Amino acid sequence: MVNFSYSSNLQGSFERPDGVDKVTANLKFLTDLSFPNMLYGKILRSVYPHAKIISISAKNAEELPGVRAVITSKDVPGLNRFGLIFPDQPVLCEDRVRYVGDAVAAVAAETEEIAEKALQLIEVEYEPLPVIDDPEKALLPSAPQLHPDGNILHQASYQKGNVEEAFQTCDFIVEETYELPRQMHAYMETEGGVIVPEKDGRITVYAGTQHGYKDRFQLARILDIPESKIRVVSSPMGGSFGGKDELNIQPYGALLAIKTGCPVKIHQSRRESVRSGLKRHPMKITMKTGASRSGKILAHQVRIIADTGAYATLGPAVLDFAVEHAAGPYIIRNVHVEGVSVYTNNGVAGEFRGFGGNQVTFALEGQMDRLAAKLGICPMELRKRNLRKADDPGPVGQEIAPTDGAAQVLKAISQSLLLNNKEKREESTSQWKKTGIGVAIAMHGGGLGFGRLDPAGGRISLNEEGKIEISFGFEEFGQGLLSVIEQLAIKEIGCSSNDIKITIGDTDCVPSSGSSTASRGTSMVWHALQRMKGPFKKRLLEKASQCTGVPVDQLYLGPSGIWSCESKTEPLITYQQIAYETKDDPIQIETEFHFPTTPHSIPGGHYLYSFAACAARVEVDVLTGIVRVKNLEQSVAAGPVIYPTGYLGQIEGGSVMALGYTLLEEALMEKGKYVTENFDSYLIPTINDIPLSMNITAIEDLYEGDEYGPRGVGEIGTVAVAPAIVKAIYDAIGLWVTKLPVSREEIVKAVNQREMKEWLTTKL
Amino acid sequence: MKIRVKVNGHLFESDVEPRTLLVYYLRDELKLTGAHVGCDTTSCGACTVLFDGKAVKSCTVLAVQANGREVLTVEALDQEGQMHPLQTAFWEDHALQCGYCTPGMLMASYALLQKNPMPTEEEIREGLSGNICRCTGYMNIVKAVQSASRKMANETQESLEEVATSGTSTE
Ligand code: FES
Ligand code: FES
Repeated sequence: MVNFSYSSNLQGSFERPDGVDKVTANLKFLTDLSFPNMLYGKILRSVYPHAKIISISAKNAEELPGVRAVITSKDVPGLNRFGLIFPDQPVLCEDRVRYVGDAVAAVAAETEEIAEKALQLIEVEYEPLPVIDDPEKALLPSAPQLHPDGNILHQASYQKGNVEEAFQTCDFIVEETYELPRQMHAYMETEGGVIVPEKDGRITVYAGTQHGYKDRFQLARILDIPESKIRVVSSPMGGSFGGKDELNIQPYGALLAIKTGCPVKIHQSRRESVRSGLKRHPMKITMKTGASRSGKILAHQVRIIADTGAYATLGPAVLDFAVEHAAGPYIIRNVHVEGVSVYTNNGVAGEFRGFGGNQVTFALEGQMDRLAAKLGICPMELRKRNLRKADDPGPVGQEIAPTDGAAQVLKAISQSLLLNNKEKREESTSQWKKTGIGVAIAMHGGGLGFGRLDPAGGRISLNEEGKIEISFGFEEFGQGLLSVIEQLAIKEIGCSSNDIKITIGDTDCVPSSGSSTASRGTSMVWHALQRMKGPFKKRLLEKASQCTGVPVDQLYLGPSGIWSCESKTEPLITYQQIAYETKDDPIQIETEFHFPTTPHSIPGGHYLYSFAACAARVEVDVLTGIVRVKNLEQSVAAGPVIYPTGYLGQIEGGSVMALGYTLLEEALMEKGKYVTENFDSYLIPTINDIPLSMNITAIEDLYEGDEYGPRGVGEIGTVAVAPAIVKAIYDAIGLWVTKLPVSREEIVKAVNQREMKEWLTTKL
Repeated sequence: MKIRVKVNGHLFESDVEPRTLLVYYLRDELKLTGAHVGCDTTSCGACTVLFDGKAVKSCTVLAVQANGREVLTVEALDQEGQMHPLQTAFWEDHALQCGYCTPGMLMASYALLQKNPMPTEEEIREGLSGNICRCTGYMNIVKAVQSASRKMANETQESLEEVATSGTSTE
């Protein structure tokens, strides 16, 4: 009999405002939409990872009955490039393709079948070029150059003290190279939507993204039309995890819709999505870490090589993040981190939940465990001895908001059930199954960091119907932002959920709030409401006072309207009445501000951090090499919890996604082509792969004087899981895994080695 | 090809291409967009519907195979504005985030509870192992199916008691 358990200190559940529509399927995803006269679009992507385009002939395709338009690079009126940091990715390739997702043509037809047929009729003559399928090969002087400035997209480094000298004084040194795989976001809804030309000459883009305004900006540049002519409706979405932040099908849909004058729907198949979509950066990270006998880490040297694929997108920022977090929450006197992000002909890597932090944390925590083993001290103790204090600077020496989150999560996890339940620890279901426990911690910056455009803003108004309308330029892709807005509004304003109307994800009616990324949504909603609630309440109360003659100081906002200290059963004046009274001068408050950043000019350096500690218990089948995560616990320090079930959901969902990263997932490429093209070979965790129990603890207290409120938890739950699982495998069978996903063959092979057998028997 | 198929209790007569998959027939022809498409390989379960009472992945069935059959989609789960206990449970237990997998999960759970009204946790995991959810980590999905099953058992109990006290019998 298997026992399952769930627990957490997070109590109180509020149902999601979008929940009913989701369980009844009343909610339409943007890929569910259809419009009269709608055509279907398809994108022709390169057959080669690297080739010259000699010629493209669309004649046969154009002549196919039912085909309404075929477009190639010549049909792009504006800039034929896109990219979130700088535009280097062709919308439609002119003379060269650099990866198998590169688009060369697109078709709009009356049915999807015709569109597909038309793609086959487009004749593209290629001259294949040598393929760079490995970032280290790309760095060789003899490698073909993928871009005018060569194959290096970005380099970043951080240095303090002198590592070389410090290594001389170390009693113990651990050096290891870690390899991290290309993980796929695998959002269940693949990229898609409908682009509709409107009667007034504008276009409406119904397609998921994490930053509607940014899409609008990029599309205007491509289409060569003013931004005001484009409306982007970007919510709801069937998942994103960072993967839909960059443009995907929007430019093709828009070009085809403008050309044909008809709505055009594009919904990529999973295969197309795998081929063209972003992935997590594969990284090779070498770390050399040295400590004194007493367990003080003296030197830490890091080299990161990231495979960014064919184009830039957010590659530079991901590398900066990895470099910044390479020493994590530890205070080390001598540090040298060097990172390079390299162009290859592999799939494009970009934004993905965790943003480079997952890779370096895996390596860093691996170092801590190896060092502890060498030193013969408890790995928790080693961490503790080197952990940052509340007032210590950030990981790259920058000023940050003081935080003792690292110590808090470490303490909380050391008190966890898993680490204190001896019985459970020893239990193993057969002699061929070995169990082990591992712990890891993580530190994670929120927001985009120093020097990055990171504006935020929001609006609150009393609309004509008397609803308190709260608008943000954010998107809902499952993370529960709507609930967060609703809960915060109820708390900060005092009204009830029935009084609120939330508007998001539509550039025609929301203010600019920046992107729904980098764990910034919750944080920015809170900040915006702090700024807006005072003036908004003041105006409402003044009006109410004017209408009722009751002085302002005896009035307050409550359910349905303004209440006086005397009113017991109903408000003195309802929101509807006030809306009516203010119809000529509606009450509306807007705010604009910037995500809090460090004053130190370190590109991408963060100011606000959250922390997590993860404990995992695994069972390793030494005959098959199968690793099962039996129990998983996480302690998270990210400030006050706004929406408990949503918070839990982020950490649980993030944990399972990270479990997949550790044990199953890899978008394998061979010579620049995907080997895993779909969910039959790219495996993500099913309900059978999840732990029997997960226990999440939230540490809500912020450090004294911290006025920055709740931090987002979209990412932090994914970071510490892999190193915890891998340490648990070591604990079980004595194998240090350095490469993810954990290979079953490697386990079986290791177990069969003599030394390992000895290790196993001594363990028993 | 002409087909006659009963979907959510209504009879539809349609002319479909032989290659049309049931999921696209439901989505494009009947505008029942609750069944979603998440893969091309029968791997994700987002398209799960009931086909003659059994949970099937509607991306693996041709529309023509539905001729003379009965299909039930998520759109028919709520009755007269009353949500099915599974729907309520998925909502209340936060068994969804983006919601894209939810209709498939609901239909797979529905089929499971029909076969086995009080499944153990292991049986729930077994029954839903063909449905992928990328967002939730599944914990709350298990919880939701459990609470729906309890609620349904209570409802059956109550209606049995009602029947017993009123002394009438039902067909
Ligand atoms: S779409 Fe049917 S199983 Fe994935
Ligand atoms: S809720 Fe998003 S896939 Fe399940």
